Amino acid sequence: MDKFILNIVHRPEMVPEYAEKVTGQGKEEDISRKGLLTESLDIFKLQQQIAHENGFKTTIQMTYSSLFNEEAVALAKEHHEKYGDEIALSFLGLPCKEFREKYKTRDFCIWMFSMEDKKSIVDDVFGKFYECFGFYPLSTGSYYMDADLIRYIKEKYPAVKCAVATCWEEGPKAYHTCNNSWYTLFDGGPWNPWIPSRQNTHAPAANEEEDSGIVAIPHLSRDLLACFDGNGSNFGTHPQNVLRGMIYKDGKYPYLYNLIDQYRSLKKYNRGYAYNMMFVGPGWMNKMGRWEAPYELLVQSYRDGMAYYAELRDRGELDDMTMGEFADFYRSCHTYRQPECALWKDILYGSQKQYFWYADPYLRTCVDMNQGGALIDLRPYVAKLEWPVGIGTPHVQDASYPFLIQSNYRAGFFTHYAGEGTVKSCKFSYNGEEVDLCLCRTKARFSEEGNTRVLTLDPVEIEFSGLTVRLQTVFEFEEGSSRIKIRRKVLNMSDPTRKISFDEYMTACYGTTEYPEDMTEVRLSVCGDDEKELRYAYRDRCISSENGKSAKALIPAIHTMASVTTKMKNAQSYAREGYAFSPMFTLGLRGTLGDGEEAVSWLNLEKAD
Amino acid sequence: MAQSGKGRLNYRCPSCFMRDLDIDMFYDKEKKEYYCIRCAFTGSEEDVLRLNETARFRYKNMLDRITDFD
Repeated sequence: MDKFILNIVHRPEMVPEYAEKVTGQGKEEDISRKGLLTESLDIFKLQQQIAHENGFKTTIQMTYSSLFNEEAVALAKEHHEKYGDEIALSFLGLPCKEFREKYKTRDFCIWMFSMEDKKSIVDDVFGKFYECFGFYPLSTGSYYMDADLIRYIKEKYPAVKCAVATCWEEGPKAYHTCNNSWYTLFDGGPWNPWIPSRQNTHAPAANEEEDSGIVAIPHLSRDLLACFDGNGSNFGTHPQNVLRGMIYKDGKYPYLYNLIDQYRSLKKYNRGYAYNMMFVGPGWMNKMGRWEAPYELLVQSYRDGMAYYAELRDRGELDDMTMGEFADFYRSCHTYRQPECALWKDILYGSQKQYFWYADPYLRTCVDMNQGGALIDLRPYVAKLEWPVGIGTPHVQDASYPFLIQSNYRAGFFTHYAGEGTVKSCKFSYNGEEVDLCLCRTKARFSEEGNTRVLTLDPVEIEFSGLTVRLQTVFEFEEGSSRIKIRRKVLNMSDPTRKISFDEYMTACYGTTEYPEDMTEVRLSVCGDDEKELRYAYRDRCISSENGKSAKALIPAIHTMASVTTKMKNAQSYAREGYAFSPMFTLGLRGTLGDGEEAVSWLNLEKAD
Repeated sequence: MAQSGKGRLNYRCPSCFMRDLDIDMFYDKEKKEYYCIRCAFTGSEEDVLRLNETARFRYKNMLDRITDFD
């Protein structure tokens, strides 16, 4: 296959986010203000016009409010007939006079309502849609669609087969950027389309039984490096996001095209398939201007983005599809266990940093080559964590899939003065000196061997006093295995008679935010000559076993068992508890290596009930 | 003193932007200055524009068209 697919989605949002709050500043709130409704519809019309002028068909996601507007409904019908646009339904844009009168709340995020209200709203919105168009939509979406919501929609309206279901890494970072007032807390999902499991939207289905029945697409295609550290709403295939990030000068924004092109390049890692989506709400193109950018630049950036996609299509390098068409296409060429891979390079900061992102139904992880191949993010999808969200659940707003490792939220290699951060790496020592691979910057290349994706890092050199060692790391991700094989090989030593010690370790915890969770239910164990277990009590204890085979951590709060295992002889396995100032645990394998020798281990994730 | 309002183009606080915080500033017509209600930044439109340029210091590839993704 050699395909780069584009979904263009527009929504007639009669009361756009930002518009009432921002452009209406100094006025009493009135979401039925005629000027607001007219401007909103005008922006939608302009977006549609720009797409059609470039020869694209779009997916029109009707909002609830737009279903009460005869002109918006007529436009959708006309564009469906004339341009082949798909008429779909969004749960964004709920606020309108009719909604507020009925539900008597200013809440507007579908995933945050109680389940009872979710069902009622779904039935209302789908019912109104049917009344307007005489059929049910194939596609739907919101910024996040929780598993209970998707299950209800699919059961009641089985025609639905595609949904915008998350915004990649829009969690605490977006919350902070918005002055702690924007509650889109849903880190931890896939960055490219996937089939969500019935249990948890973020975690892809591993088989037909787990299949939620829809294909999920992310809201925007986001920079896999910039969004991991920075505000997700600055670095996506959304021209006004790029303006918000101030990534332009004199009306030029090559970064937008670089981002699109890097997404195109991901077909190298995904058997010839690559994907992009553009979904700009009308509020981002309002006449008052936004993010220091005048209206003219806001519109021009949209025109330019669309024109670039058209140029790619005209060169035979892009296919545009509606969401419904895409769902069929995706299912025709993907198996459940097929992973999504991305070897992503920095295209903005000039750092030459390189990340490798991997996601399958069992895990999501990120390998940072700038830290010698350290794992800086790890999500145990294998647990298929049932995590209801919304009013009446334990997680009213927090829809993130929990991590075991998140090196930005819970520190990685670098900590202040004391303690440890979450990261998986390897330390080497010789004659009292110790070097962590986190400080050995390198690059990687990708290859496939059957159903195993292989990430081979360029060798790094460690200089001890009196001994230089050249080492190479290889990661192997076998489809369906729920584990990562890690090989650390000594390629050569300046003195081949010497031995060095290694410590293959993973420091982890669990959580969804920067703040620590209660660790007292965590149980650590080791297995080898001895079997030992330790219940977490913040007492900084360590258990170990010679001829170690494994070190494990059971984390009941997220129904996950994580372990490091090896088949090496004479290794020691250990598990170390943390303490109050460092609420982590470490699982590790220690041993020695000589010239040409290799340490092979696995990081395994299991569901623990 | 009359109340402040939004200024032209919703200028954000450049100091907060540099710490990944988007906060629209308000404009004091009498002092002819923008000010941030979270941090202590105050400045004229020229100051804001100049500092917004500074904020771009981290985007070393901002104007590069990249074609090699290997």
